[in-house]
Amino acid sequence: MGPLETMKKHYEQRDVAAQKWKKQGGKVVGYVSDDCPEEMILAAGLFPFRISGDPASGTAETDKYTESFYDPSVRSILNMLLTGKYDFLDYLVIPHASDSILKLYHQLWWIHRVDPSKQFPPLHLFDIVHTRFWQTGQYVRDQVRALKEKLEEWSGKEITASALARAITIGNENKALLKQVAALRASEPAHLSGVEALQIIGSSMVMLKEEHNKLLSQFLKGASQLPAQEGVRLFIEGSDLDNSQFYELVESCDATIVGENSSWGNRYSDDPVDPSGDPFEAIAERYHLRPSRPRIQSIEQRVAYCVRSALEAKAQGVIFFLYEWDPAPSWDQPDQAKALEDKGIPSLSFNMQKYAMSDRDRETLKKDVKQFVASLSKKKKH
Amino acid sequence: MSAAKGVGDQSKTGPVKDAKPLKSAMAAAQHQKEWFKNAQERVRAGEPFCLANADTPHEIFLAMDDIPIVMMQWWSAIISAKQLSGYYFDRMGDKGYQKNVCRYCALPLACAIEQDPEHEPWGGLPKPTLLLAQLSCDVHTKVFELLARAYNCHFFPFEYPAPAPSYPRWWERLEDDWEEVIGSHVLDLRVEETKALIRYLEVSTGRQFSHKTLLEIMELENEQEEYFKKIRNLIAETRPCPVSLRDQLAATMNLQWHRGTQWAVDHTRMFYEEVKEKADKGEAVCKDEKIRLMWIGRGLWHNTAFYQYFEEKYGAVFTNSMYLSIAADGYIRHHHGDPLRALASRHIYMGYCLRDPEWQLNEAKRYGVNGAVMIVASNCIDSVGNMFIKMVLEQGGVPVLPIYADVVDAREWKDEEIKAQVSQFIEERCMP
Ligand code: SF4
Repeated sequence: MGPLETMKKHYEQRDVAAQKWKKQGGKVVGYVSDDCPEEMILAAGLFPFRISGDPASGTAETDKYTESFYDPSVRSILNMLLTGKYDFLDYLVIPHASDSILKLYHQLWWIHRVDPSKQFPPLHLFDIVHTRFWQTGQYVRDQVRALKEKLEEWSGKEITASALARAITIGNENKALLKQVAALRASEPAHLSGVEALQIIGSSMVMLKEEHNKLLSQFLKGASQLPAQEGVRLFIEGSDLDNSQFYELVESCDATIVGENSSWGNRYSDDPVDPSGDPFEAIAERYHLRPSRPRIQSIEQRVAYCVRSALEAKAQGVIFFLYEWDPAPSWDQPDQAKALEDKGIPSLSFNMQKYAMSDRDRETLKKDVKQFVASLSKKKKH
Repeated sequence: MSAAKGVGDQSKTGPVKDAKPLKSAMAAAQHQKEWFKNAQERVRAGEPFCLANADTPHEIFLAMDDIPIVMMQWWSAIISAKQLSGYYFDRMGDKGYQKNVCRYCALPLACAIEQDPEHEPWGGLPKPTLLLAQLSCDVHTKVFELLARAYNCHFFPFEYPAPAPSYPRWWERLEDDWEEVIGSHVLDLRVEETKALIRYLEVSTGRQFSHKTLLEIMELENEQEEYFKKIRNLIAETRPCPVSLRDQLAATMNLQWHRGTQWAVDHTRMFYEEVKEKADKGEAVCKDEKIRLMWIGRGLWHNTAFYQYFEEKYGAVFTNSMYLSIAADGYIRHHHGDPLRALASRHIYMGYCLRDPEWQLNEAKRYGVNGAVMIVASNCIDSVGNMFIKMVLEQGGVPVLPIYADVVDAREWKDEEIKAQVSQFIEERCMP
């Protein structure tokens, strides 16, 4: 199997590498969102596994305990935790990355309270709060210390500065290689589809990074052979998409997704950890301050990021894809759309979208995407 | 967190049948109006003015020679009570905002963006010179950034560290052992932030913060909240219920807003005396009280007459809601020589405490209710977790009916439908 196929396999069957690690006697730490220092988990000798939802796995169990109106990917994660899909996790780290993710932490507690037969892996809350203030940085630093202690308790061994420094180096290498992947998409013509890009980037979060780096290097060596992608160039903004269903739909309409603002996409490889100095300090600073953290960005910064990324990716148009009940990015959308328009980049917005698309949803979306793509290719010809 | 002052304008839908409106509630509503008018004048004359979320320490402003401050949620409730929410949300829609944006905190923003004081209730909100909120919800950052833009002023955010799941029976410990209940690392952060706020205000307004005044404020507040506790206990144990929920809401919120002043202590005492007198005389919301109900969630600001319907139809009385209960259980602080830290412990998890299912169950038992109606705003992340309130209450023997509606957006309120739901709930699950 070639490197791209291997990464695709890991994206589609996300637990493969973690299950293998477990069979060899290792322990797996699941974590939610990109607000968790995976480098520390690795440095503790544990397998960092980024949890995601799955539109195909339903919400029947989640529905018994929670309301329907909050981040649907988090609801899906809860359903998977309740139905045993994540039984291979030994531990769970939940960062205070968004309201919905914090709710997940509390929900696990309350579910156990109302139904003690429900058990979950031992939990740790990584309370990474909201702003860029220095004081907040001090608080986050304490949280990094608490996470270190918890991971040490779980692994039974100390996280040394040198082990962490090594994990940082591996992680930074991964980000640097992923930036080369991003460049393949930004080139004209693009040499990678958006779906493939999601598979490459997403697999990085469910594999051991060293293995992933090897695959990336191999893949990039053969990059000159990749076929050109001729579709209309689109950039995707809005909710964090942990699956490829929307990309598949868009790219079936003569379009290529050349970039996105998503922690499952190009944004994941922004902001390497500073490799100089004390590695614990560097981790605290990176996870507190990184510009790619949407929660600490103002609307103004979110607008600037969107416009800059769309321009860098040489996008002809932007599609906003916003899940239902994911309100924070929807507040940025009107300003983002306007700023894009000022730069001559038209946009199309899908609001209140379902996490699991029905055939009907697909049809409606497809019709609108096709129309949008057609208007863009006409524009190009003129 | 939600609070409202000036709510319960008695002229709107008329007093509750068989029960004269409370003098204290009317006096409080009147006082609120005068206070607001006065604040408008003071701001016009150049004084600073803060628009803040309800779970922030207005005591700080009071201790700085009484800088005027208005709570977002109160303002939201006022706009809503004047039936203007539909108009403003339509305007938001015109500007490209999603149809399902949350309502409670966004209503003042919609109003700010319009910049049309003529249209606003009470002659319009003065232009704030500062915005204050704790970031207990992701949308707050957005709403306050846009507000800061609309008003061209600064937004001072407090962090919202994640609360631990639930301190067992916190309401029995909070008055004295707040350090343990809330947690030291969280209080450390909030105290630092509060000091930063004080310095910021001192620098930007030229006023001085008075520690002595803060100590007095904290004492007055304890005195006032003790009255609320007596009122709560009295209403909970009196059968039939002596005061309607509508009156409770109006009096509590308007008085609560002025906490820390002698005026508030005096009028809360008056509120207590009135309730006591009613109880002693056997006055009742519903002489023939058959069913006691609890209201869970924010007050139904656009339709506070709603509760009355079931009194007439079934002898079903809404006896309690979180507003009076949290005044009784969540505000009192013996500061043990550190008023700033005690103050920090009051606000930080108030919203979280309000949604604690164990506390809700405790209140349901205290009032001896036959059932609870829970309003759930599906546009607001704060409503997520209400299912646990339902589950815990029902495990404790109290049936719960969730109704899905917004407390400030009257456009989506389906009066007939919701009355039918509540009627069916009363008939099938609450009747003895
Ligand atoms: S989601 Fe709820 S708490 Fe948050 S800003 Fe909106 S109305 Fe307020």
